[in-house]
Amino acid sequence: MGELFEFLHALMNDPFGFVDLPIRQAITDIVNWIVATFRDFSRTYISPPVRGVMSGVQGALNSVPPGIFLLVTFILGWWAASWRVGVFGVIAFALIGFMGVWDQMIITLSLVVTAVFFCVLLGLPLGILSSRSDRFYAFMRPVLDIMQTTPPFVYLVPAVMLFSIGNVPGLIATIVFAMPPVIRLTNLGIRHVNAEFIEAALAFGSTKRQILWKVQFPLAMPTIMAGLNQTIMLALSMVVIAAIIGAGGLGLEVYAGLERLNIGQAFVGGIGIVLLAMVLDRITQGLGEKAPGVRDRGE
Amino acid sequence: MIRAENVTKIFGSDPESAIPLLEENKTKDEIRELTGQTVGVNKASFDIQQGEVFAIMGLSGCGKSTLIRCINRIIDPTAGHIFFKHPERGELDITQLDEEGLRTLRKENMSMVFQHFALLPHRTVLSNVGYGLEIQGRRRQQRQEAAQRVLDMVGLGPWGRSYPSELSGGMQQRVGLARGLATDAEVLLMDEPFSALDPLIKVDMQQELKRIQRELHRTILFITHDLDEAMRIGDHIAIMEDGQIVQIGSPEQILVNPRTEYVAKFVEHADPTSVITASTIALPLNSDQFVSTGERDGISYLHRKDLPHVRFGMDREGRLHDVQVDEQDVPVRRLEEVLEDDDARPASSERTGVALTCGEDAVLRQILRSRLVSTLPVVVTNGDGRVRGLIDDPELINGILEKRGEIP
Repeated sequence: MGELFEFLHALMNDPFGFVDLPIRQAITDIVNWIVATFRDFSRTYISPPVRGVMSGVQGALNSVPPGIFLLVTFILGWWAASWRVGVFGVIAFALIGFMGVWDQMIITLSLVVTAVFFCVLLGLPLGILSSRSDRFYAFMRPVLDIMQTTPPFVYLVPAVMLFSIGNVPGLIATIVFAMPPVIRLTNLGIRHVNAEFIEAALAFGSTKRQILWKVQFPLAMPTIMAGLNQTIMLALSMVVIAAIIGAGGLGLEVYAGLERLNIGQAFVGGIGIVLLAMVLDRITQGLGEKAPGVRDRGE
Repeated sequence: MIRAENVTKIFGSDPESAIPLLEENKTKDEIRELTGQTVGVNKASFDIQQGEVFAIMGLSGCGKSTLIRCINRIIDPTAGHIFFKHPERGELDITQLDEEGLRTLRKENMSMVFQHFALLPHRTVLSNVGYGLEIQGRRRQQRQEAAQRVLDMVGLGPWGRSYPSELSGGMQQRVGLARGLATDAEVLLMDEPFSALDPLIKVDMQQELKRIQRELHRTILFITHDLDEAMRIGDHIAIMEDGQIVQIGSPEQILVNPRTEYVAKFVEHADPTSVITASTIALPLNSDQFVSTGERDGISYLHRKDLPHVRFGMDREGRLHDVQVDEQDVPVRRLEEVLEDDDARPASSERTGVALTCGEDAVLRQILRSRLVSTLPVVVTNGDGRVRGLIDDPELINGILEKRGEIP
């Protein structure tokens, strides 16, 4: 009787004392195994292309004299959206220059462009696949949830173990974190193309592939562009975190300012990121509204 | 050209379960209650001749849109057969075609026009018209030329570079029609093509379609919920109710002899003046209303009892020779010509100064209008020019008052 009472007492007060799930150890083991197994693979096959694209983009951006850069920003903003956006872009970039973080901004911009390039390269096909197979999308959904909700700090460590310190692990973490919107919105955009267009294409004997490329994809373009815009914003929000593992640019400015309690330095980096984000946002939104499928929406 | 045999479409989780119940002639509602399946189309059979416009008329939800989609199998019928007379390969059963065969059929032999146009908003008008040709794999140059030709035909020649959103509804549907015509498919499926248009534009488009059809002689399956439209456009009309075809016939047959209550209710409000033809209302020559007044030089004369001063002379073959009013010859003209040419219309004081002849297929409306030109009886002639009968005021009035009788 006494024993039973003691057992129940323990069960009520500390039901978790009975089982010790060795999850920490398990994950440590798994990550160690992954690192040991894939380190060579990732350093030979993943790092070089990522680093190559990054240095290519950075080289290209660096080769443009800042004055020309401002001019191009104006033209791009004007063409994509309006002259206001063009003027805003020039003012924002000029401010960044006046604050003395132009070179850091170029690095950050290169990081973002590179990350977004890989997000699109991988995300677009995955999004198309998701839209065409319910089963594949059912598999993708939890993966996307994990990619978006896992705190980035958690996978910084394995990223470093796999790719060592520097821009590359920062880029990999950024790509993982920023890719979901491209996949989700490509899938959504294609699935939401009005059935009457599909029916019309079918009635004229189109194959599934023709329907995808001639009808669904162009009509999904505004939605896909919205996804791209989100991806760019997410990539920018990762640059500070990526600085912790050695990525350079404006994020490093913020991180270094924090470490040295130099509030001014941290804020300059932060303002630079905000300005860059706003310019990129306005331009890509403008591009989204220019997308072909946007014509006569809602008419 | 197209022959449908007991085409049936049942929507639901287990369509097959409803088939035996249909055989027992259970109604749509009973079947839904018993099996949970919804009958879309119930054993529809019809035969569309080459070059005709076959209209399927019914209220929304009667299954007409489902039926037309069964023909090109955008919706797969649950049971039944659809035979298509392929110009080269003989008779095909569309329900037995595989993916590839079906695609070829849609590319080459059957095109479609949609209620809400379904033009691709990201393509120009010309590129929309050329879509079917693109799928056929024609070269760019060739398909642009062909698309431009069809665009000219629907009266939108200069609009090729515009986008659909820049066009009005009527113009957009002209583009839809042009896209359907561009592939030279023998069969054109039109799913309520003019229902989304304003009433005035709608009538315009109906005339446009008739004009184009006179030129191209396509086989057209035309869906509509508007009986007047069906009567104006269709050579034959099938009336659908609750997934079933309840009557098939020429517009006039349906108007004069509605087979069910449902059809009769529709027909009640139809406009008879554009459907009833001269041959239906004409007083036939063998009627006892006519009095023969002898023969002269091989021409035999007769007049109506109530109109002795108007005499009609016919030769031995029964062709109209002359018309006399009070022993004086009056000029004889074709009713169709007089209606088209306003200048030929004499002042009202001369309305007995000209006699008119019309074909058997002239409709009531035309004959009524001709009364503004001539008040003499209209002579109805057949294709060979032989006189079939006369139409005077009593016949016209009976026709307007929906004379329901036999069709000769």
